[in-house]
Amino acid sequence: MHAARNVALCTKDCLCLFVCPSGATDTENGQIDFAKCLDGCRLCVDACPSHAIYLVFDRYPEKPAKHDRVVSALDATTESKVEQERICRTLAEQGGLEAKLAKALALSNRILAEDCTRESGFMLPQAPRVKTMLESLQNREGDAVPRETVDSLLNS
Amino acid sequence: MDKSFGYSDGALAAVSSNLAKAAEKQMRATTASEFTGLATYFDKQEAKRSAESLSQLLPLITWDLEQGYTEIERSARDAHDRGALRCMTWGKKVTAIHKSILGRYEKQKDALLESSDLFVCEACGFIAIAKQVPELCPICKAPSSRFVKIA
Repeated sequence: MHAARNVALCTKDCLCLFVCPSGATDTENGQIDFAKCLDGCRLCVDACPSHAIYLVFDRYPEKPAKHDRVVSALDATTESKVEQERICRTLAEQGGLEAKLAKALALSNRILAEDCTRESGFMLPQAPRVKTMLESLQNREGDAVPRETVDSLLNS
Repeated sequence: MDKSFGYSDGALAAVSSNLAKAAEKQMRATTASEFTGLATYFDKQEAKRSAESLSQLLPLITWDLEQGYTEIERSARDAHDRGALRCMTWGKKVTAIHKSILGRYEKQKDALLESSDLFVCEACGFIAIAKQVPELCPICKAPSSRFVKIA
């Protein structure tokens, strides 16, 4: 586990600099140096008066398995939302205020589709369903899926 | 459809963009940019739709409200899956708002949007037609900082 800083909350009191034993909190880009940060130390997390520092996990627990029927239901609605997003994207290219509304609806439908995928087993990059998806992309034929990206994600 | 994993390319784009956001929250910049790359690829790959008017959304919205979210609710209740129920609760409300906005746009046309801006909640997808960003999302209670203004 290492610390990370939410720059939007940071009030620059800089108490994290006082307590950090490795110098990881003192950087030129506002973020903590994850490579220097000591595993699970959390001194800066507790010292920060504005609660702007939190711990990021290196490993995440496996989620309870989802029921097949719930997954199918979520997948069906994902596809409906994606279809609506596509229609909106076409209309968003046409200009005028209707295009602006189409843009908002496209984004909203993308967020709704993403939310369905989150609950259908794609919440975390580490989830087993992500691995299954990436492996199926490795075997996908007939188009130019960025293979190196898929391989790199499977190995990370 | 059914090209990979039973998902359309548009759905693979949504899976990938969601995972990019999750990786960002885990402070994994490389993983985040790789998933963003996949999302961009699948977005381009998905076939363009011919569309004439926003009213084309209505049958799909009706399906979502009467069947899609209803089946998520039924299955999630049977499985005691409160995460899926949460997704259904937000999604059904946001979809009902899409329907209401389309109805108002049909009647008022551009007058609906002329003196207001459009704000979308990044957490749940809620769309506000307002002069100022909402203080709090009425659906998911996310703060104003989670809203994006549509340009």
